[in-house]
Amino acid sequence: MRETWTVLLILLLAGAAAYAHATTTTEEFSRYNVGWNGTSALTVDEDPGATLLILAPEKPFTPEEVGYLRMFLDDGGSLLVADEEGNANQLLADLGSTIRVRPGNLSSLDRGHTDPGLFRGYVVGNSTLFAGIETLLTNRPAAIEGGEPLVETSVLTWDDGDGDGRVSGDETFARRVVCAREGNLTVLGDPSLFVNAMLAENPAFIENLQPVRIDVHSRTGTANPIINTRVWIQQTPLAAAALAALAVLPVAWHFGRKRDD
Amino acid sequence: MNARASHAILAAAAVLVLLLLAGEAVDPVLYTAENTSTAAHADPATVKERSPGNAAALVPLMDDLLGQTGTLALTIKLKDYESAERDLARYSDLSAQFDKLVVTLDVSGTDVGEFQQNNRQNQEALATLLNDTRRFEDLKRLEIEVQDGEQRMAIAYEGEALRQKMREGFASYAKRETATTRIAEHYGANATPYQESVEDFAEVADAADDRPTGGGTVRSPLGIAVTPDTGRYGETLRIAGRYAGGTPGTAVEVYVDSRVAATVALDADGTYAYPYRVGRVLAGPHLAYATAGGVYSGVATFEVFPKNTTITLAAAEVNATAVACTGNLTAEDRPVTGAPVLLRVDDGTLVAGETDGNGTYRTEIVLPAGEHTLRAEFHAAGYPLNASGSEAATVLIRGEGLSPLPFIAAIAAALGTGWYLRRRRPEESPPAAAEPPAEPEIIETEPEVTAAGLPPREAATVLFRALRARLGLPETKTPRDCALLAPDHAGFFERYERIRYAGEIPTEEELTSMEKVALGGDPDA
Repeated sequence: MRETWTVLLILLLAGAAAYAHATTTTEEFSRYNVGWNGTSALTVDEDPGATLLILAPEKPFTPEEVGYLRMFLDDGGSLLVADEEGNANQLLADLGSTIRVRPGNLSSLDRGHTDPGLFRGYVVGNSTLFAGIETLLTNRPAAIEGGEPLVETSVLTWDDGDGDGRVSGDETFARRVVCAREGNLTVLGDPSLFVNAMLAENPAFIENLQPVRIDVHSRTGTANPIINTRVWIQQTPLAAAALAALAVLPVAWHFGRKRDD
Repeated sequence: MNARASHAILAAAAVLVLLLLAGEAVDPVLYTAENTSTAAHADPATVKERSPGNAAALVPLMDDLLGQTGTLALTIKLKDYESAERDLARYSDLSAQFDKLVVTLDVSGTDVGEFQQNNRQNQEALATLLNDTRRFEDLKRLEIEVQDGEQRMAIAYEGEALRQKMREGFASYAKRETATTRIAEHYGANATPYQESVEDFAEVADAADDRPTGGGTVRSPLGIAVTPDTGRYGETLRIAGRYAGGTPGTAVEVYVDSRVAATVALDADGTYAYPYRVGRVLAGPHLAYATAGGVYSGVATFEVFPKNTTITLAAAEVNATAVACTGNLTAEDRPVTGAPVLLRVDDGTLVAGETDGNGTYRTEIVLPAGEHTLRAEFHAAGYPLNASGSEAATVLIRGEGLSPLPFIAAIAAALGTGWYLRRRRPEESPPAAAEPPAEPEIIETEPEVTAAGLPPREAATVLFRALRARLGLPETKTPRDCALLAPDHAGFFERYERIRYAGEIPTEEELTSMEKVALGGDPDA
């Protein structure tokens, strides 16, 4: 009897380890990534009145989806687009915005870390998103053009095209905007602010952002089939019921057989 | 559940866990900090917190420098020379701070570096203006006091030279205004005081022109010319002239930028010449004049153009912890001699070196173990040369390796422990308390006891040893051990224990009794 319990306990522990292993990932920005570059620690809300965050978008928007977003903005909803690769530019154009994301390798001398891309931006605009905040630690952001500037870099910032960590060649120092807005639409050139390792660096900004819900075009999903299956089961009541039945049936069969004996 | 089934399940669970661990071994994010940076971001917790320098101070310092030019030019214009001296000292301090910051932040190749060069020239120009203005005031006073015609002429020559110097100085000061203002405005620094300083400089120079000494423009008998009137680093310019009426052999002092460059003798034909090699002077316009006795020449100007430089770096291992950095600094194939060179280690630490007469430098740097990136830089401070940097060189420092001391200590400790355990083993097996100790095999031997004449406690020790030896007990046994091993003589040993450890002194009778026991007498003693 004792041996049976021991085996069951070991099986339970092994099962828990296997489950934890199979249901996490190291993919960038993934909600299922509990590591430093995941977004598992970002609190999200399904409230329709919450700020809609499009985080590192990677999927194109259909005209219907653009129409929905335009309606959302017209109805007074707040939309925050966080992108550093320029994938959001088509959406911004379709929304009629003049703001654009300019990918690059922004680096600054005005920093407290050895990594030139890890530096502070200065809040220059009046927005509830940055209420009570003077500086924001950015993590390899992209420059933003157009709109009303909300966060700017120090003037000792350059686009390090050759990646040598110093101002060389045609590179010049200049102040760059890393966050700007047009009405309810805010564009942030640094989606890294939402990864687990960065949440503690800008707590007031994350707090001001709440409540927030994440748009499906965001890069917060995963390609892990086990996780996607689990999520599908969770979101499909019929599948969940079938799985529960699969778990209960062997037990019922086992006990029924015992009674027959 | 039968044993075979449970073993199979346990084996399967073990295999599963091993497979999971094997998966992590391929992608070891759990126990290494390697996957801490991607194209999108870096993990701030793993990035070293060290700024490249006090970058926040750069623009305020630019502001201060520009402000200082305004203050200094104004005090010169107001002829408040005491305040001007203080302002100049403050300006020099700020310039030194700025120069250091430019090097630390590695921005000498940017427009900040251009601002730094202009600032150095501005500082030099204002220092010269202060000296010239004071001297000009002295000349005006002397002009009133001196009646002698020859002396008055000397004053007139010098006054004219000063006026020319101020005019040239102003022309060069004003030439930098556009570039300096553009850079200052780009960085948000206030250029207004600097622009005002240009106006004040102009007023000082104009005032000197308006109030000529010596009663008007005079033509000096001491001529001067610089040929060619432009040059670059390492080239030689000829500063020469004729002294009409001068005696051959007369000493002629040649000044470049108000500093004595050389003293030459007048030739038999009344001419002098000095080959001036362009060395560590700033790029831009420069002034030259000569004096012979009290006679001043006019002011000749020449311009030095900047030249590009090239610096090389080769790093070679010296030993396990040091690397030798060598290289050459050249300005378009001409070696730059006696010039400061900086070696930047891992984009942070700076190590200074200097080129020799061939433009070669060699510096040994001690580094911690690991891979390091080195770069040689020439910041061209005070030279008519453009800054340059070498290609980065990567060196791998092996470090001193593991010190043998811990191993020696460990071996020594192991040997010591072995020795101790071996020595202790017989003692660590005392008879069990519950069981009476086995009677030792007592070998009666005739001891030689020589306790006579000894102090009482020493005599007791001699007797204890004698009895222990007689009973054949090992020398390592204490009185208490002996009492346990030879209970028949327990009284003797317990008495000796008190004598030995409690400090009691035995009486003569006790010693006599103990001696009897030690020699094989009354066991109850």
